[in-house]
Amino acid sequence: MKKLLNLILFLKEWTAVVLLVVFIVSGCQDRTNLTGPSSKSGNADLSRYVSIGNSITAGYQSGALYQSAQVYSYGNLIAQQVNSNYSIPFISDPGLGGRIEVQSFNPATGVINLTVNSNVGAPINSNYPSSYNNLGVPGAVVYDVLNATSSTTCASYLVGGSANQYFDIILRGKGSQYAQAKGLKPSFVTLWIGNNDVLGFATSGGTSPSTPTDAGKFQGLYTLLGDSIASMGAKVVVANIPDVTALPYFTTVGPLMAQKIPWTYIHSKGSPGLFYQAHGNTSASLTYADSAALASYKVLITLPASNYTGLLGDTTGLYYHLIGATVPTGIIVTQPFGFSPYNPWPDALILDPAEITTAETFTFEFNSTIAGVASSQGFGLVDINSFFNSIASGGLVENGIGFSTAFFVGGLFSLDGVHPTNRGQAIIANEFLKVINSKFGASYSLINVDAIPASIVLAKRSMFFKGIYPHFAPGAFKHLLD
Amino acid sequence: MEENVKVKILAFVLFLSISLSQAFAGGFQLNENSARALGMGGAFTAVADDPSAIYFNGAGLTQFSGVNFMLGSTLIAPVFTFRGVSPQVTEYDATKQTFFPTHFYATYRYNSDWAFGIGFTSPFGLGSQWDSSWVGKYLAEGISLKVFTISPVAAYNLLDNLSISAGLVYSFASVNITKEASQYPFAGDALVTMNGKDNSEFGYNLGALYKPSDNLSFGVSFHSKILYRFKGTVSTIGASQLASVLPNGDVSADLTAPLNLAFGAAYRIIPELLLSADFQYVGWSSYDTLTFNFSSPKESVANPRMYDNSYIVRLGAEYNLNPDWDIRAGIYFDKSPVKAEYVNPSLPESNRLGFSCGLGYKITRKLTLNAAYLFIRNNQLTVNNSLEDYATGNVVPAGTNPNSYSPFNGTYNAYANLVSLTLSYSL
Repeated sequence: MKKLLNLILFLKEWTAVVLLVVFIVSGCQDRTNLTGPSSKSGNADLSRYVSIGNSITAGYQSGALYQSAQVYSYGNLIAQQVNSNYSIPFISDPGLGGRIEVQSFNPATGVINLTVNSNVGAPINSNYPSSYNNLGVPGAVVYDVLNATSSTTCASYLVGGSANQYFDIILRGKGSQYAQAKGLKPSFVTLWIGNNDVLGFATSGGTSPSTPTDAGKFQGLYTLLGDSIASMGAKVVVANIPDVTALPYFTTVGPLMAQKIPWTYIHSKGSPGLFYQAHGNTSASLTYADSAALASYKVLITLPASNYTGLLGDTTGLYYHLIGATVPTGIIVTQPFGFSPYNPWPDALILDPAEITTAETFTFEFNSTIAGVASSQGFGLVDINSFFNSIASGGLVENGIGFSTAFFVGGLFSLDGVHPTNRGQAIIANEFLKVINSKFGASYSLINVDAIPASIVLAKRSMFFKGIYPHFAPGAFKHLLD
Repeated sequence: MEENVKVKILAFVLFLSISLSQAFAGGFQLNENSARALGMGGAFTAVADDPSAIYFNGAGLTQFSGVNFMLGSTLIAPVFTFRGVSPQVTEYDATKQTFFPTHFYATYRYNSDWAFGIGFTSPFGLGSQWDSSWVGKYLAEGISLKVFTISPVAAYNLLDNLSISAGLVYSFASVNITKEASQYPFAGDALVTMNGKDNSEFGYNLGALYKPSDNLSFGVSFHSKILYRFKGTVSTIGASQLASVLPNGDVSADLTAPLNLAFGAAYRIIPELLLSADFQYVGWSSYDTLTFNFSSPKESVANPRMYDNSYIVRLGAEYNLNPDWDIRAGIYFDKSPVKAEYVNPSLPESNRLGFSCGLGYKITRKLTLNAAYLFIRNNQLTVNNSLEDYATGNVVPAGTNPNSYSPFNGTYNAYANLVSLTLSYSL
């Protein structure tokens, strides 16, 4: 017993010594300080950063706006990279708009079938007291940034009566995108707007609207917007508009039709190619595209048109039945669909050469305006158009991961064929960071694109379509440009 | 149009990144098999005068008499952090875990020439756990490797001042690995779980102890390498659409634990003070490539580890305060066997320094308590040429252009606190 008591006393004396040793030795961790990113670098200060734009800025993917994609919006990626606070109007998965997902996938053949998630999400942080730092509103055109404050004051409502719910969800009656950005007293602003001023025309096959925003009107609106944003006193970077005709939305289905249509048989029946309605034509048409024209992008077939490629040769008028339209005057539905001048491929599913030229011309005009405003205001300019064109022609490799503008396998675009994937957003964010660094003498490090997770969603549900084309459920693109 | 045309519209090969090879990282050796030796920095090959000689140098069993038992355990609490991926310096901390490898020895002095003993130890082991969403999740998430040995040893007095020993090592081991696998280009990861075991492998050990004088001794100890042939099952939870390419079924993998050759010298400089030094050579080069063989889908994933042979230099001291109390201290340097480009976060390995202190107390004539504390500090390691591809979880061949994969470059820090307690009882 005495020995045990001795031991306890001894241990008590030594406890302090042992603790002291532990304390001293633990201090020797040799942790050379590595400095984390600061929101200020060079002449750039991203501590109060706001991004203004449309669906791309919002982080919209695969036909929907949802939280797990919103966190990879380029604005949020930039904010994280520079350690800046950045609030986002989150909508719970699977979001609003009808998210396109992969229903089945055959690893052996690569065949995918798509579906639309019929569940909807809801706003998560609509009580956020301040304005959001991410002021990207899906569907916004250049007019909207200064003028739209709600779903019934936006351009799509004023022109076409289409109320865009996103203006209500994101702006919450607190003023326009511009007014709310200004209210946040930003030290840094990025502006990427104007895509929809041409995209709406293009994705509808040149039917709705039937022309892009007037170039002169665009110039006036964008110049005023430039003056307004300059008045905030923040550093500003703007991005221009990529050539929409290289989007997988337009380049996927046409080459497949060139490959899969039995042309020899079609020719033997007397048809020279695919008869289609040229721009504005709703009736019979003698214009046609042969397989070479389809394969070489002389005409562009839209992605939703893949829902109707199975109707080629149909002689029952099923197309007009499916879209719920009356058969237009001059159309003879008993003629083979697409292969007869009297039952041509509809204008809404194709960009003909004239429409392609229109889209490209307006994109060029808009970009001239954007470059001029950036130059006169001293804004940095992200030339997304040139960057995107270089990827469209030669692809892009980031640390061994290859990217292209191809649908699905290209890795850049989500399943709607228009909006970037998570990694596409990270690549865009890096283009912004490069301009910020060069324009403002900053030295922000770039994002590791390979650390960004993949974002093509595999469906958990059982409704699907079988076919050789990517097959979209009716309405898959309904909200694409709300 | 033709009907029933089955065409693949999108050529696509799923990039299945199930490289689990990094599971066994370097330095998974555990030498902490006695509180007394631990207190002396592990410099015990030429000391070996208690039952833990069964592990450190069996020839030492001839230095004491009677029947003796020793039972103890070591608490190991490592801390790992990673900052990266370069140029990012975001800090990721591994989940803090503690481990309790146990040791038990029994010895019997048969006559003046012969002594026998049997020991139970955990000479190898590894555990690390990272968050399932951390940046290196395809390289490492969770691993637990447990190796146990039962080792009968016989020691013989060849000359008055020279004894030798030989021992058989029976070993059994188990391993659990959890890992995320990329489903790129699809969102979400597949969770791969592997369980394997090997119930029966054999090795051997040899020892010699030479005492030219009462105050001076030299020891040599050899532990053979042991090849573990793990067999078990793999199960993967991933997207149902990818079920045909996700591994489910049997898996096997071979892992070689390295040989160890230790040389020691001990000198009693004054009656109260014993000084000891060891040089321990570890044959890690036996660990060059780790291959996992899956049954379904049938696939082998080979991964280069390319370990180098390494060594540990140890210095220790024991001071007899009085007949009841001993105090001890030690220090050692442990050379990392892993080339920086192959460092994997399962066990961030770099050169280590160990600082130890300990004490021994004779509670009764028959019962002794030994306690020790060891602090291990890994040198900060900044990797800038990693061959570990964190986008896929693969290891790329040496010389691969760093722009063609995603090198897991960054800065590792690690340290560990260990506390060991051992009770000895003499009949």
